[in-house]
Amino acid sequence: MENILELQQICKSFPKSNFILDKLSFSLPYGSILGFVGENGAGKTTTIGCILNTVRKDSGMVKLFGKEMRDTDTDIREKIGVVYDGDNFPGFWSAKQLSQVMEGIYTQWDNALFQKYLENFHLPVKQKIKNYSRGMTMKLAIAVALSHHPQLLILDEATSGLDPIMRDEMLDVFLEFVQEESHSILLSSHITSDLEKVADYITFIHNGKLILTASKNDLVYHYAVMRCRESQFLALDPGDIIAYRKRDFQIDVLVDNGKEAQRKYKDAVVDHVSVDEIMLLLVKGERV
Amino acid sequence: MKGLLKNNFLTVYSNAKVFSIFMLISGLFVIAVISQTLLIGYVLLSMVGFSTNAITSIKKEFISKWGKYKLTLPVKRAAIVKSYFISQLIWLLVGTLYAGIVISLSWALHGCPYDNSIDVVSIFAFGISVSIFTGAFFFPLLYLGGEERSDVFLVISLLCGIGTVLGIISLLNLYLAPGITTILLSAAVLLFSSLLLFALSYPLSVIIYHKKEY
Repeated sequence: MENILELQQICKSFPKSNFILDKLSFSLPYGSILGFVGENGAGKTTTIGCILNTVRKDSGMVKLFGKEMRDTDTDIREKIGVVYDGDNFPGFWSAKQLSQVMEGIYTQWDNALFQKYLENFHLPVKQKIKNYSRGMTMKLAIAVALSHHPQLLILDEATSGLDPIMRDEMLDVFLEFVQEESHSILLSSHITSDLEKVADYITFIHNGKLILTASKNDLVYHYAVMRCRESQFLALDPGDIIAYRKRDFQIDVLVDNGKEAQRKYKDAVVDHVSVDEIMLLLVKGERV
Repeated sequence: MKGLLKNNFLTVYSNAKVFSIFMLISGLFVIAVISQTLLIGYVLLSMVGFSTNAITSIKKEFISKWGKYKLTLPVKRAAIVKSYFISQLIWLLVGTLYAGIVISLSWALHGCPYDNSIDVVSIFAFGISVSIFTGAFFFPLLYLGGEERSDVFLVISLLCGIGTVLGIISLLNLYLAPGITTILLSAAVLLFSSLLLFALSYPLSVIIYHKKEY
């Protein structure tokens, strides 16, 4: 399968904060949505910075559309739509003025499409962006990101801060976008329920390290948590344990194949769990 | 480049509008009153004011994530820097036009406003070179020290601009005898040196900006 985005062994350190992005590797195939999950400060925004060259990586390679993007590769950036969390645009502009600027920047800027999104999202054209609600500013950013016919959307916490109805609306827009096989989305979020709805792949990052990357179907249908007693836990094959977490009277063990675990360890209770719980176990749990 | 210049214009626009109205009203006052000092002050304020207004507005882009977002657009970092340099020159031109119109009207109504008509050249050369020197110092400092310190960098750059111009004038006065040729030569040296530093400041700013992370 061909990848629209590929990260190979990306390293980036910030000596002042002691934060290190440590040999991060993952890829995003064409026609799919990759959910990029991690707690606040895990390194999601830094990774996106390395992809978009707003942050200089120390080593490793990022390939976009099969090519490493340099500052001069404006043709690659023509094909990327970006949404950051929060205020993406100057608040003293209106959507109309923003459109005028974008028209002079993107060769493929589609003003009619932008107007259509503004209408669909109920965004006033002449109102100053600073007077928009948070949800409206995020909708505006998504409208801008989509209005130059990009192939790749990079969304950094684009749905955080939106109410569930608005989030659902946006997720529908993303699903519609990836209907085209040449389109993909990198969706960074810590709202795992959103990712469960739309993502094809989910990559977990914690303290700058990649801890798991898997297809969503695998996570939802195969990954499971075994509820073990101490004696049961000690009898487990270490190779079956991805992560474990001691609770008051039991030990939760994350395994990558619930059915097989149930067959192998007949006494144990095996539960299929949400991506949220998988993330909690991966982040807070221990490794063998 | 068109989009970036439009971006810069929209960023400066609201401040420039207020400043334009102020300059228009004060211009009418300066035309009505016969005062050499007021005219000199107006010319300098107009040229330096418009161009510094253009560069101070850059910090407004960093109140939002726009400064970072711009780097994800299909523009080179060098083009972003170039657009600021061009914008500053455009606003300097606007300031020079204001000053030119006010001086012309004052001249038409009250006669030559200065002791010698050639002094007009000196004043314009002074104003233009201070503005250009200010920009030349400001942009590398801005990228080096960060947008959040833009106010202090503007003050430093303006002081450096004025200091450099006064330094060049003092130096020329040491070696040249007073006269029309000296005034013209001084004006030419000021304009040439400020433009030279402005031109050198551009690649330096680009190099620094290339290393910036957002």
